[in-house]
Amino acid sequence: MIVTALSLQGINLNYLEKYCDDVSTLAKKHNSRLVVLPAHTATVLGFATKSITATVSEPVADNLENSSRQIWVEQYLESHSKLARSLDIFLAAGTLIEEKAGRSYNSAYCFNPSGELCTVQRQTHLTRFEHEVGLSRGEDLTLFDCDGLKAGLVVGNDAWHPEIGRIFGLKGADLLLHCDAREGELTCWSQASGMWAQVQQNQFWAVEAQLSAVIGDKVYGGSSAVIGPCEITPGQSGYLARGYPHSKYVTAELKEKARRQIKQKYPLLKLLNPEAYRDSLI
Amino acid sequence: MPLDGWKENLFQRYLTWKCRPARIRRHLRTTLPGSLPAGVEKTADRRKIRAAAVQVKLNLHKSPLQFADEMHRRVREAVDEGAVLVAFPEYNNLPLLGLLPGIEQMEESYREKAISPGKTHADEDKQQEDIKLTDVFHYMSPAVKPLVDAVFSSLAEAYKIYIMAGSYTLADNGSVVNRSFLYGPSGKMLGSQDKVHLLPIEEEWQLKRGDNFNTYDTTIGRLALPVCMDATYFETFRILEQNETDIVLLPIANQEEYNYWLALRGIWPRVQESRLYGVKSALVGSIAGLTFTGKSGIYAPLELTPEKDGILAEVKPHDREAMAVADLDLEALHELRHNDPWRDKNPALYRRYFPEIYLYK
Repeated sequence: MIVTALSLQGINLNYLEKYCDDVSTLAKKHNSRLVVLPAHTATVLGFATKSITATVSEPVADNLENSSRQIWVEQYLESHSKLARSLDIFLAAGTLIEEKAGRSYNSAYCFNPSGELCTVQRQTHLTRFEHEVGLSRGEDLTLFDCDGLKAGLVVGNDAWHPEIGRIFGLKGADLLLHCDAREGELTCWSQASGMWAQVQQNQFWAVEAQLSAVIGDKVYGGSSAVIGPCEITPGQSGYLARGYPHSKYVTAELKEKARRQIKQKYPLLKLLNPEAYRDSLI
Repeated sequence: MPLDGWKENLFQRYLTWKCRPARIRRHLRTTLPGSLPAGVEKTADRRKIRAAAVQVKLNLHKSPLQFADEMHRRVREAVDEGAVLVAFPEYNNLPLLGLLPGIEQMEESYREKAISPGKTHADEDKQQEDIKLTDVFHYMSPAVKPLVDAVFSSLAEAYKIYIMAGSYTLADNGSVVNRSFLYGPSGKMLGSQDKVHLLPIEEEWQLKRGDNFNTYDTTIGRLALPVCMDATYFETFRILEQNETDIVLLPIANQEEYNYWLALRGIWPRVQESRLYGVKSALVGSIAGLTFTGKSGIYAPLELTPEKDGILAEVKPHDREAMAVADLDLEALHELRHNDPWRDKNPALYRRYFPEIYLYK
């Protein structure tokens, strides 16, 4: 399976049609079956196309703002559903605020090649800022079928909480898609302590889309990556592909047979010792 | 059981006698310098605790006194650097295989087996093949345990420091465990830790795994001493963090060709996930067809390191003797833990999945 993660650098964001054309061109060029967009893509695109005047990455109390945001959210989801269908790909479309029963969640959305929403994943571990703006935590982690692989979405800060990788790993995840945006520069060390570390201790694949863009006065300088168990990556680095802060995208082919072989050779999850932490992780 | 003949029993008694604590302590007393450094104070400066991670090159010692001298030399080096906390590697008993007569031939046989696994051995070699390493560990235990205790207890007391003596494969109620030890400035053994997560080869050797994580309160913070593979799993460090551990002392002996990224997978990410200090001490070198590589180092959360890379000190060679030394600031660590904008807990999520999720494995 060929996978691609975008940073939004070099993508025309001023017009929705041109944005879709750019994403399509990239996906076709690499024959990608899976494309992952970073967190806040809807906000970046919404501002650039002048579809919104307030972020769709945070809850907003103002009703007027809410109605214009709602229109944009629907348009955004519809256009990405079409994009997934027309390209015949799985498309992780970044994050949006999901309102449910009086609560707001930061959620990532993924469409399957039929254009159907195959999963919505709420962020489960919030930053202090995300708490302050009124977001709530999700309490479930779900997997979906991605061409025979069990896939899950990882939202933002969850990548730095190893409980997420372990739960997904023990549920049988083969592939995690991480939609993220970190303010400032995401150093290689910070990145390695997130998804890279989760991949190494659970032996799944991860496709990490980090935003490289400016929203208001906030600068996001992340670099995207495709990560696998060290043993089956060039130089045993754990990276199948790794971008720089201003790289447009990264792409790589996931060789599932190799991953299954390494899991069999070093069965890390089978060597867990649950008796030692039965009552300690709650 | 290939090591229970009368000759073996007799030699075991002889070995135990040679390793008797009184002899070891007496020897060390004669080699200790006249004036000793102050060591750790009763009320240590929690903003500056100097730790040393010793990297030991595997050499077979022909006598227990040689082992004692070697450990003393390494402790002395660390003390000369101002260290009040010194850590030794995993499988620190392997150099003691040199106490066995004929070990060189046995080692040669194991080495050949490792190079050409399909090779047919002559009949005389078959007897050696039948002796498993676990049998050897079991056989040597009555001598090794008192020796280790005498050496590190004496050194910790003499220099008034804390020593994590590394880990040793020792007999325990009919089984063999991989156990690390901690000694305090009074010379008392403060505690131990059995390796909780075993390597496939250790499972093959039928080692018994530990089933809990211990912590020890000292004047330089709360210490824990899990062993090597325990750092592959976030659970170890998360539990230690929940138990308010400040410093994790990790003895390692990695049996693999050195690679920067492979080596990064253990303690470094665990320290980032769980916000504590990590002191990793590596065994390097070859024995019995097994080659160990690694780099001893001292690690901290990214925010507490000058280069923001999570590394306070790390030795350069991965195959030679070396030592990493760095200062740990417990106040800064506690400040970070209580004021970390990125960290969160989700009890509802954990309750939903833990511990039942482990049944999925």
